[in-house]
Amino acid sequence: MIELLIGAVFFALMALSLVFRVAKGPSAADRMVAGDACDNLLCCAMILFSMYTGRGIYLNIALVGAFLGIIDTMLVGRYLEGSL
Amino acid sequence: MMIAVRLLIDVLIVVGAYFALAGTIGILKMPDVLCRMQASTCIPTLGVICISIAGILYAACFLHSADNAVKIAVIALMILFTNPIGSHVIAKGAYKADQRGAKNLKLNPDDYGRDFNE
Amino acid sequence: MQKTRFSAVLATFILCMVVWVLITWSFTVQELAAGVLVSLATAVFSSRFFAHGDSFRFFNPVKIFSLLGYSVTFFSELVKANVNMAKVVYGGCKAVKPGIVKVPTAMQSDYGLALLSDSITLTPGTITMDVAEENGQNYLYIHWIDVAAESGEAAGEAIKGSLEKGTRRVFE
Repeated sequence: MIELLIGAVFFALMALSLVFRVAKGPSAADRMVAGDACDNLLCCAMILFSMYTGRGIYLNIALVGAFLGIIDTMLVGRYLEGSL
Repeated sequence: MMIAVRLLIDVLIVVGAYFALAGTIGILKMPDVLCRMQASTCIPTLGVICISIAGILYAACFLHSADNAVKIAVIALMILFTNPIGSHVIAKGAYKADQRGAKNLKLNPDDYGRDFNE
Repeated sequence: MQKTRFSAVLATFILCMVVWVLITWSFTVQELAAGVLVSLATAVFSSRFFAHGDSFRFFNPVKIFSLLGYSVTFFSELVKANVNMAKVVYGGCKAVKPGIVKVPTAMQSDYGLALLSDSITLTPGTITMDVAEENGQNYLYIHWIDVAAESGEAAGEAIKGSLEKGTRRVFE
């Protein structure tokens, strides 16, 4: 099914366009929000690409990304709040 | 039967990409930090839900592998449960950092600043 | 900080073991033994942060069915809020009027407050920023992208009207 590959490329392009906000964003919180959204979009792209190739190894990458994506967000958030 | 499942998968991918594109454009175009965060909430809710349902249908009906389907469900649930915690923490941090430095946020009723900034 | 109790350790151990089996999805003896060891270590060290009060409340089937009913309510609210946010974004991001409102809530327990504020944060358009308590009444500070009502009760009815009923049925 070629549409799975098309969807994966579309999601990866959206994640690539968010790099603009990561590079430009006026404050640290802007960069962190864009990075977090990048993480979620790449998880979706990994799911679609893994279904296209039929190999489960890409799902493990998406799983680790989903589990570890929360930790850096909370760390930067607590630092900005001033309670770390 | 198979063609109906294929059509359903295509519709789910298109709907998920529509809402994820809304979140992406919102992050790129919204005026300040908290509004960008509101728009970015579209990505982990309907984007991830639609894409993961499409992935589960494909793994169950075409690949016949139960472990891949269960793993996709675990990924989707993990993103859904952990995203609001990080979002809440970083909203508070962005507000406090903005109050310390350049006061760029324009909030019309600002009850939080009224109660905690004396 | 409260002490480590046996029922809390058992409940956390069962949850960790279920997650382990779902992730690995292999039922050989070696994998299951490794899962038991890792889950036991995790449960002993983290159960005192994780389970307060009655640890086995979700083994009651009434609670499980009310949680399923709440998830249906929450999903319909989620779709409505997503469509509104997509309209605002594709219309050029002009129709925004951000503000922070202070909303009173009737929830008392910690788990209920956590579930309610997580649900509010997960719907696009509203983010819970803080929870405060004044004179026995809990208040939520909510950042709202399109402020339609400034007083607490009207804003609360617009933001969390149907969510709070479902949350109270689950946790009170």
